Amino acid sequence: MADSITLQVTRYRPEEESEPTIQEYDVPLGRQWSVLDGLNYVKDQIDGTLSFRWSCRMGICGSCGMTVNGEPKLTCGAFLTDYAPGPVRVEPLANFPVIRDLVVEIGDFIRKLPSVQPWIVREEERPVSEGEYLQTPEELDDYQQYSMCINCMLCYAACPVYGLDPEFMGPAAIALAQRYNLDSRDEGSRERLDVLIEHEGIWGCTFVGECTAVCPKGVDPAGAIQRYKLTAATETLKSFLLPRGAR
Amino acid sequence: MAEFERHSYDVVVIGAGGAGLRAAIAAHDAGARTAIICKSLLGKAHTVMAEGGAAAAMGNLWPDDSWRVHFRDTMRGGKMLNNWRMAQLHAQEAPERVLELEEWGALFDRTPDGLISQRDFGGHRYARLAHVGDRTGLEMIRTLQQRAVALGIDVFMECTVTEVLTDDGAVAGAFGYWRESGRFIVFETPSIVLATGGIGKVYEVTSNSWEYTGDGHALGLRAGAPLINMEFVQFHPTGMVWPPSVRGILVTESVRGDGGVLKNSEGERFMFNYIPDFFKAETADTEEEADGWYDDKKNNRRPPELLPRDEVARAINSEIKAGRGSPHGGVFLDIASRRSPEFIQRRLPSMYHQFKELADVDITAEPMEIGPTCHYVMGGVEVDADTGASAVTGLYAAGEVSGGMHGSNRLGGNSLSDLLVFGRRAGLNAAYYAGRLSESRPQVSERDVTAAGKAALAPFSDAGRVDENPYTLQKDLQATMQRLVGIIRTREELTQALVELETLKERAKHIQVEGHRQYNPGWHLALDLANMLLVAECVATAALEREESRGGHTRDDFPLPSEDWGSKNLVLTEKDGVVSLKHQPLQTMPGELQQLFEEE
Repeated sequence: MADSITLQVTRYRPEEESEPTIQEYDVPLGRQWSVLDGLNYVKDQIDGTLSFRWSCRMGICGSCGMTVNGEPKLTCGAFLTDYAPGPVRVEPLANFPVIRDLVVEIGDFIRKLPSVQPWIVREEERPVSEGEYLQTPEELDDYQQYSMCINCMLCYAACPVYGLDPEFMGPAAIALAQRYNLDSRDEGSRERLDVLIEHEGIWGCTFVGECTAVCPKGVDPAGAIQRYKLTAATETLKSFLLPRGAR
Repeated sequence: MAEFERHSYDVVVIGAGGAGLRAAIAAHDAGARTAIICKSLLGKAHTVMAEGGAAAAMGNLWPDDSWRVHFRDTMRGGKMLNNWRMAQLHAQEAPERVLELEEWGALFDRTPDGLISQRDFGGHRYARLAHVGDRTGLEMIRTLQQRAVALGIDVFMECTVTEVLTDDGAVAGAFGYWRESGRFIVFETPSIVLATGGIGKVYEVTSNSWEYTGDGHALGLRAGAPLINMEFVQFHPTGMVWPPSVRGILVTESVRGDGGVLKNSEGERFMFNYIPDFFKAETADTEEEADGWYDDKKNNRRPPELLPRDEVARAINSEIKAGRGSPHGGVFLDIASRRSPEFIQRRLPSMYHQFKELADVDITAEPMEIGPTCHYVMGGVEVDADTGASAVTGLYAAGEVSGGMHGSNRLGGNSLSDLLVFGRRAGLNAAYYAGRLSESRPQVSERDVTAAGKAALAPFSDAGRVDENPYTLQKDLQATMQRLVGIIRTREELTQALVELETLKERAKHIQVEGHRQYNPGWHLALDLANMLLVAECVATAALEREESRGGHTRDDFPLPSEDWGSKNLVLTEKDGVVSLKHQPLQTMPGELQQLFEEE
């Protein structure tokens, strides 16, 4: 096995260049070195100005998403040996404005989040002193998968619909809505429906399924959206047939 | 001079982990105009990495549990050096804070009856940790983040504060920079809550991420707030040791709580050889009794693998030193031979994936290799227990950056609950204080703003002679702390550490960074380094002074705890770059709480 591998890293320094450029760095090809380890090696040893986000190194904070050889990946969980002999292309996540080098602007997602009301909605709130809302392990299993989202944005980078229409709510936000809709403690699915049946909501999705393919946590946003379309269709139909109060 | 971006708030919270978010929510609910400033993206703070759970005496599994038992466990875990009032408030209020999280949408693992399930952890008499698998921190931070966003609290992401500005000894504002543009930003506010977490990045082997550079400790200290208990650093017994790129990453205590045991290279369950007198009465001395405890806590005592973290970390250290370590310099943590693959995958899904993906180890089939890793600092800003107020008017602290709650050693699970209980209290009181001030707020002085801007740009100026690279300097600092101020300490080594820290401080004056101010990681590190050097000096100074062994401070030359040292804290202050230290007696516990320890 070669003892080094070449990273082809996209650099973008808006104050001095109008277009991104590609810069090559040779990094040690350590056994079980991740792409993130390679980038940190560049930053610490070769070029201290290379900018990228990272934090936990263990796949839970969702900071280090980038495009590796064309695919959205958490770089802490993408291993250099899997790309040997290289070179490895490292680019910023697609579908987001680039701030600098590998850092992208994700404010759009943060702004969309509250619109799906990601919290428990109750018709009547109960004081904390009365203890928890009961929920069986089986009821928990029903939605737990959708709660694993780490907001890493890989699904937005992979989503062709979001690429074309930035107004589209996007996979993670819809999966998050579904996480609460399916929660037995929640009574807010009607309110969320009004948001999600907008064209930028679920109907925007053409079921390409890329979001589920790239999700590092097995959240399956595509499945959540499909499942929700069915509910939405039924509910919408009901709302035509029944008087408003009966919805 | 250029006009800086300026904002005015009633309360500014620095840090967006569990404590910061909870503080901001409380301040907002109390009617204060509130902002959160955080150096990484919202939702990525260190809390997200917490695995095990939040300790709260809800009594869902063991009705005999109560705040009194939790209080007693916490104090004993901290070797009685805790601020008793903080430990009391924490134990009393944790259940309500957990229920409140649920109210806001958090999910928890459940009992068959639908109650919040609770798990066993080291040092806790009863199964007490509310949890979601082994990703409790993620759920907690998501819930708090969504709550804060829903309330419309302003968030300044990827923004770093470099100075707390004061006016006649009271908080007047904060000075910082946007990481993205490098532009400066000034906050005018009478109330600041420090919630910046810990200092783990001053060590080589740590479970902490890049953010943990002691920012709040240093900000508080420089603003005039004393630190206490800085000699107590928690080395978590179980960090990954292999491969090198993941060295230090946490392996949750839940592995042991769920039945995992520690073995040396001879296959011996060695923890039975390391039960200290202090915990003999409540610890099993045979494997049979230890194994019986998981299902029958009434008739069996707890396994020695679940002693408090300081005890387990020291034991592992001794085994490795005695030559009974694993191939990569750790010991073995074995759950594969004790629980079914299904059980392990259901209870510890993140651990299963972490080892599979990062180390190519199947934890349902083979033991893990683990060793101690720097995890948590017990020391921090000295605060008033009830309000979170520091010695500086208008400056509050909550969570890991505050000191006192955990004494000399923190029990697992007591951190997430600490964040909630004291985050809320600090946020509320910061808001009340700002409200009481009305018109007469302290003023930010232009001279201080100019000075802060100049200091922040120093790494760009050509300091002449030798140019120092901030990354090299950080590595050298970590090596010094790891080698000389680690788990086991001696007078000689600590004295040497202080000499080396002086050299590093001198070298730091010559740091030279390349490039521009826009998103420049080298510059950011250069500014963080000043904080790291200051907190490292505090740790080493206090560690040299305390001539005994207690909790997260072990002196090879003073191997036992001493009664005299057990009655006092070490208090650190800073003036003009010089760190000073004084002894301060502990606050006396009231009689009715004393009794809880006399019943033993």
